[in-house]
Amino acid sequence: MTQSFLQLERVTKRYGGHGGIADVSLAVSAGERVVVVGPSGSGKTTLLRLIAGLERPEAGEIWLDGRKVAEAGRNLVPANERRVGFVFQDLALWPHLRADENVKFAADSLGITKAERTTRITSTLELCRLDQQLARRYPHELSGGEQQRVALARALVGAPPLLLFDEPFTGLDADLRATLRNELVALQHRLRFTTIYVTHDPHDAETLGDRTITIRHARIEPAESLKR
Amino acid sequence: MWGWRSSRTPVVLTATAVFAVVCLLPLLYMLSAALAGPRTGVSRVGVALLDRRQSGLLYNTICLGMGTTVLASAIGAPLGFALARLALPFTAILRIVLAAPALLPPYVIAMAMTYLVGSLASTLTGAIVALTVGLYPITMLVTEVAVRRVEPRLEEAALLVTTPGRVLARITWPIVAPSVIAAALIIFVLAISEFSVPGLLRVRVYTTEVFTAFAALYDFGRAASLAGPLLIVSIAVAASAGRRLGRQLIATRRGLHGDPLDTFQSWRPLALASIGCLVVVVLAAPLAVLAREALRAESIGDVLRDSRDAAIHSLLIGLTGASAVTLVAVCLGHARARATPNVGAMLDALWVAQFAVPSTVIGIGLIGVWNRPGAGGALYGTPAMLLLGYLARFLPIGALSVAAIVRSIPESHEEAAAVVGGGWLRTMVRIVIPQMRAGLLAVWVVAFVLGFGEVGTSILVAPPGESTLPIRVYTLTANAPPGYVPALALFQSAIILAPVALLAVCLGRRRTS
Repeated sequence: MTQSFLQLERVTKRYGGHGGIADVSLAVSAGERVVVVGPSGSGKTTLLRLIAGLERPEAGEIWLDGRKVAEAGRNLVPANERRVGFVFQDLALWPHLRADENVKFAADSLGITKAERTTRITSTLELCRLDQQLARRYPHELSGGEQQRVALARALVGAPPLLLFDEPFTGLDADLRATLRNELVALQHRLRFTTIYVTHDPHDAETLGDRTITIRHARIEPAESLKR
Repeated sequence: MWGWRSSRTPVVLTATAVFAVVCLLPLLYMLSAALAGPRTGVSRVGVALLDRRQSGLLYNTICLGMGTTVLASAIGAPLGFALARLALPFTAILRIVLAAPALLPPYVIAMAMTYLVGSLASTLTGAIVALTVGLYPITMLVTEVAVRRVEPRLEEAALLVTTPGRVLARITWPIVAPSVIAAALIIFVLAISEFSVPGLLRVRVYTTEVFTAFAALYDFGRAASLAGPLLIVSIAVAASAGRRLGRQLIATRRGLHGDPLDTFQSWRPLALASIGCLVVVVLAAPLAVLAREALRAESIGDVLRDSRDAAIHSLLIGLTGASAVTLVAVCLGHARARATPNVGAMLDALWVAQFAVPSTVIGIGLIGVWNRPGAGGALYGTPAMLLLGYLARFLPIGALSVAAIVRSIPESHEEAAAVVGGGWLRTMVRIVIPQMRAGLLAVWVVAFVLGFGEVGTSILVAPPGESTLPIRVYTLTANAPPGYVPALALFQSAIILAPVALLAVCLGRRRTS
């Protein structure tokens, strides 16, 4: 069907006639880093939720890694089978599980042996700079930056080929944002995963994307700025 | 989010089927019996309404509903405001103590009243007072939730320019009034649906007539036609209230933000004194008078020994019923919480309406559905009928409660589990249910105490020789030796209040830790 790793073809999802996205087409190559910007309520989050399988498109098709995963009114592949990492805006850390247990829940779904799982969890926690002491804390016992790292570790532990970020650094101070942004860039270079990153922050757009697209009034603006 | 192939599909379908068969089928059976057929047709309902004898029934039923509604709202609404906006000591425990009368079977309160004021209790006014004691906590809790939902800054902005009294009247009350009115509608329906209090106090209303027509005169047609108007009014009013209230019926701490405001604190002494008096009147006095009467029994030990089998049956069925209600309610409540707004509002209305169906009507409906030859009637005449009765009565309120608890858990927690590959069942077991353990315990406790005190449905569906404690208390009232029934009622109240007291202690400890 397509050479792109991710392809959206004329996808529409509206919420009672407003919000959401309308007739959006987008192609993302493997390993590409796309940043999505736009005003509040323009449909950025809806775009990510459709790709992850958390919403059903009303029209259009979504293709992922050569496989059609959604078509009008139907998710052909449910969210838990798409192998997509998602870092939510509110992080959605499970408050009753420790940091390492949050990551373990994700690792448990991978269908690998216990030993492999343990190795994977440990290496992912290290990758996200979470030492053993931090890993044994509950989310409310962690700072904002540490919580971001746990959310990232949880998304990364399954080594998903596509990672979606929904304004994960909202509410953090400028210094911490810069630090986490640099860490994420380093991880992207190292692991070469495809990312779609939703943000309001122009610095994020500059640092984290090969390409920036703007969504306004539920549609992708025709002029896409190509970096470099 | 979850595909049709996920484990959610069979689980939710099974729970829905249980609800349809156990709760909806008896209701539909009664509605069709009331509105169709030559002996029970619409014309007969019309005749029943126009008959002079029946117009007295209508008058009594409406007076009972209106009187209870007005009195319960007048007591419950100020209490709800006080719990939300005054910094009262031990609020969590106070809330449980003030809500405790709702958990006591209403006929126990009515019985205590007969010992307190004699024949004065056996009047329409007596029935109104007894039902008010059991129902004011609904207004209280709904008002508290509504007031806590009012952003304190709205009141603070008004307090800068006017007095606390005017703020209450002009800002707080208009915002919470729709909730209080919806609670009043629910109380009206529950009052006109109540069977045990008017039955015990010999006040003739529709529910007692339905019971008499079926159990004493063996006239199913008359029972069904009498149930018709009651059922239609109950469902219509409750559905409207349920649609208005919906998610506000039960709220969890996480969904509420309103804190006590300093300005209202001058009302605290008056509030505390009123609450003290109320607790004495609605809880301490009834229990004390029952204790006094129980001491007149020749041997309390003999009383309890005589009723040992009934108590064990009640406990077993109460425990099983509460567990079954909680289990099915988790599946239904979760589905409702994650449903679209329109489907959710419809389910809220349906469940509130179902909860308001009179217990005697449910009992007769269950008999109509299950009393048949062959495999379809295999459960009839067995203790399973009692379990079906409990599910039919309390599953709707359980599902509503669970839905409110699930809504307090961000949906993104489940979405995060789904995108990392967690299936529905694993997400429920490891992510959702652990976050609502305390809420589920509360649902289980409420289902247990409501089931343990249930009499209207049980008395009709209990198999021969299989009595429960409430049935025994209710049927022995007229002809037992002195002290016998109060001792049983007190014993029953102790079993009901024990888990509630335990819950209060746990809350108290959590607060102090």
